[in-house]
Amino acid sequence: MKNDRPTGDIATALSLVTGATILGGIVLACRKPHVPVKKPQATVAAARRLNRAAGTLAASVLIDSAIEHYRGNFHNKAMITPLVTASLSLAASLHGTADSKGEAHVIRDLIYAGAGLTGLVGTGFHIFNISKKPGGLSWQNLFYSAPLGAPAAISLSGMLGFLSERLRDSHPDMPPKILGIPAGRVIGVMTSLGLMGTVAESGLLHFRGAYHNPAMYLPVTMPPVAAALLGASALGPIRRHGRLTRWWLRATALLGFAGTGFHAVGVARGMGGWRNWRQNLVDGPPIPAPPSFTGLAMAGLAALALLEDHPDD
Amino acid sequence: MSADPFLSDPFAAPRAIGGRAPDVMKAGGWLPMKQHDNNEEVDFVVIGTGAGGGPLIARLAEQGFSVIGFDAGAYFRPLEDFASDEIEQQKLYWLDERIIDGANPIRMGGKNSGKAVGGSTVHFAMVSLRFRPEWFKSHSLLGYGADWPLDWREMWDYYARAEKALSISGPVRYPWGPKRPRYPYRAHELNGAAEILARGAEAMGYQWTATPLATVSAPHGDSPPCVYRGFCRFGCSTNAKQSQLVTFIPRGIAAGAEIRDLAMVGRIETGPDGRATGVHYHREGRWRFQKARNVIVAGYAIETPRLLLASANDRYPDGLANSSGLVGKNLMTQSNQAVFGVMDKEVRWNKGPPSLSITEHWNYEDRKDFHGGYCWMAQGPLPVEWATIVAGSRKRWGAPLREEMMRYNHQVGLKMVGEMLPDERNRVTLTDEVDQYGLRIPRITYSWGDNDKALIQHALGEMERSLDLVGAKDIFRQEDDTNHLAGTARMGSDARSSVVNADCRSWDIPNLWICDGSIFPTMGGVNPSLTITAISLRTADRIKALAKRGEL
Amino acid sequence: MTDRYPGYDVLAKRRTPSWNEPTRQVVNRRLAVPREPRYLTPPLFTVLDAVCQRILPQPTDRPPVPLAALVDDKLFTGLQDGFRYARMPDQGEAWRRGLAGLEEAAEAHYRLCFVKLSGEQQDDILRRMERGELSGGALGDMPATLFFEHRLILDIVTVYYAHPTAWSEMGYGGPASPRGYVRMGLDRRDPWEAAEAHDGDETKARLENGFVG
Repeated sequence: MKNDRPTGDIATALSLVTGATILGGIVLACRKPHVPVKKPQATVAAARRLNRAAGTLAASVLIDSAIEHYRGNFHNKAMITPLVTASLSLAASLHGTADSKGEAHVIRDLIYAGAGLTGLVGTGFHIFNISKKPGGLSWQNLFYSAPLGAPAAISLSGMLGFLSERLRDSHPDMPPKILGIPAGRVIGVMTSLGLMGTVAESGLLHFRGAYHNPAMYLPVTMPPVAAALLGASALGPIRRHGRLTRWWLRATALLGFAGTGFHAVGVARGMGGWRNWRQNLVDGPPIPAPPSFTGLAMAGLAALALLEDHPDD
Repeated sequence: MSADPFLSDPFAAPRAIGGRAPDVMKAGGWLPMKQHDNNEEVDFVVIGTGAGGGPLIARLAEQGFSVIGFDAGAYFRPLEDFASDEIEQQKLYWLDERIIDGANPIRMGGKNSGKAVGGSTVHFAMVSLRFRPEWFKSHSLLGYGADWPLDWREMWDYYARAEKALSISGPVRYPWGPKRPRYPYRAHELNGAAEILARGAEAMGYQWTATPLATVSAPHGDSPPCVYRGFCRFGCSTNAKQSQLVTFIPRGIAAGAEIRDLAMVGRIETGPDGRATGVHYHREGRWRFQKARNVIVAGYAIETPRLLLASANDRYPDGLANSSGLVGKNLMTQSNQAVFGVMDKEVRWNKGPPSLSITEHWNYEDRKDFHGGYCWMAQGPLPVEWATIVAGSRKRWGAPLREEMMRYNHQVGLKMVGEMLPDERNRVTLTDEVDQYGLRIPRITYSWGDNDKALIQHALGEMERSLDLVGAKDIFRQEDDTNHLAGTARMGSDARSSVVNADCRSWDIPNLWICDGSIFPTMGGVNPSLTITAISLRTADRIKALAKRGEL
Repeated sequence: MTDRYPGYDVLAKRRTPSWNEPTRQVVNRRLAVPREPRYLTPPLFTVLDAVCQRILPQPTDRPPVPLAALVDDKLFTGLQDGFRYARMPDQGEAWRRGLAGLEEAAEAHYRLCFVKLSGEQQDDILRRMERGELSGGALGDMPATLFFEHRLILDIVTVYYAHPTAWSEMGYGGPASPRGYVRMGLDRRDPWEAAEAHDGDETKARLENGFVG
């Protein structure tokens, strides 16, 4: 039988991540120095909200990947990577949340860029893992092999943090822009896409759970509406559904926490309940996963605030 | 009331008594249960509460009939009564003595019997497969066996209902046969043994799939998802398994049916008009008689003919429903041979349900030089069963046996479920010895035919090739195993060549019905329980329709 | 025989979520089986004991399994198989005849009683029975091969592999309820499963087996 493990090169993976991170860092560090001017408070506030969102996502990924990779017994040493990256991203986000300075921080930038890349590499690993399984890209493997969507969550955390840094970097006298596009719109669109990706992941896993509880439909119905509303605001006229969008995003943020509660109940329903936690915490619904919706909704709210503060239409 | 299981012995006294029955989903819990007097002529007595009896008890009660379900076995509370132990859990099997003979005697026990409320579904391997449509007309379409008086399209509908009622966890797409609706629950994760089957099938160019199983992959009602403890064939102590005991039986009780556990039916009585009038049963130390308007026998392929034969009287000297002379004849079992090998990797095949993956390739492929089909599935025998296989198939004992047993965690195997052809010489008769109830012990006579042997050899060769292709070493064959039963009261469209009609109603006695695996005219190459359940659901609907027309 | 799962003791899991109360009771009863015969006569029981030692020689470094007592317990409690070959008497009678038949064969071939024979001589008698070379006498019309394969081997092998000593030796996870298993794939071990000693890392396996629970 052929070897079915991506034994392959852990070292390659790690050096890829590290290399890419360093490279990204150098690029960032070589940027033209920006003028340290006092930024409008609103922009920094939005940046800090993005840090918070990135941190929430990072925390979710940290615990979720810890549990899932523990299940996989860390049989490939690279499986430690998301724990390291998510911890760093979490630390950077805490730092950023507390930081009211109007300029990007090189270390945070490095970490966020690294997180973004880790997610991409992780996705590659997970695709490789699935391709080695009998059945290939089948429902069975999408359900039970390395989850395709999971590594993207750390990418999202990195992306939000990275965008936060770009906000801080933006020109003080003009509405904040990223790549020449109003920042609110960029962040809004990216967050909207992130929400849809997360919806796909929870949709897949809730399908695996056969939607046995009607509440399992919530994460595949509420967040898509949030994503659509946010996307519409980011791409079109801002004020049209501003109020509705804001409330819907808030509800989605709450849904993330509620999901954790639902999942905790699900764990308790497993045979042996919490007494059998070593099985049920791993086999049951993932308790740390739902707050990724909270993180994304928080980012969406930040984007919405930016859009409303700097209307460009 | 106490939750301590050892304050109450399921065998000491009936549990379904005093207006209540155990609520198996809750430790120490009870369900209110309607009870009937022996002199009250109930609409239906159902003898046996397994895959054949269970759905009928529930559906008939839900239609408003008064129903009593009898079972010779105990009313277990899985959460409290079930140990994780191969020996202790033999209490779920029908271990009363049966005499076996013929050229290939069928070893009776856990692989083909059950003695419990819920029947053998309490310890079945949960494999829930549909017949290939052509098998319902195997004589006219495939040239062997006998035709069923049922249409596969109608059965397809009842299969779907059975799958829904049993919350089957199955693959999103099933590779063989006509389209079927999505299974209610998603398939389970594969274990190592199942993955080996899949790799072997892919190496041969055959399709494979996760096996549709009657154990839930996500919570359902009070059933938690399966925890992959691997003792499925020794009773599910978590109630993840959707046996009759946790599905149709509680449904029936809620709808007003009565269950009588530890109640052995010994004889069906007939009246001057030739119709059944009720049943003699042994419970709480003495024989009793329950009056009934209709009697449904659902005791499976040994106890059903045994009861019909033992109920012979002046009017029916050859036994009830036996004008065709076919009661007890055409007994069928399924070839259950296996090929085993050793992997370098740790497989730990005892984890999870034993048959998590399957290939039905040879059920749907007709280019072969024998009749009938077979499938094979992954395996995970526990130590006692594995030791008896090694000792039996390899003639090992002494140090070589112990040495070989040390490789347990690396062992892997493929086991077939193969179709055996009906043969009137394979049959159930009564001996002159009597059992603990004073009832005559059955004799089970079985010999494989040439076609059966050809099919087995073909399957062994294929399975061996598959294991060889995935790098298994020290491969050996288990040549002699069988499982499941059918036949002995076959269904047909002619009173001279069958015992019951398509509605499971006996040709001879209009208020005597038979609804279990006994009525199968052919065996098919898949585990029979889902087909029995589907036919039982159909029979309940037919009884409703006949009652409406006043034809009961 | 090398210890493939050094330091693994399935009984260490007795108080973990892998064992429920009914299982503890059942295994406790098994471990406490009376060592004196209650069904067979003492002479036949000593023959049975000698037979058991040949059919399943026991590990020296684990608690011994009282095989003969467990077989006698099966006969005493009357746990049935669910079937009887038409050519076989019931299990108790079969055992009585079979053991007496071995005794007769020992006398016939070696002029000694079975328990006095060397291990190799005992194996020789057992193989003669396995090949169906013994007949008549105490065996009566019972076919020797059928008795050997479907009574003698089956009963002894069954009681041995239903014993925790055997489970520990072969690295079997043992009872599993309410806690089952999580890591399902190839080469995956849950922390409450036996760790196997691979070449040269017996220490590692022994260490890991110390934490099984």
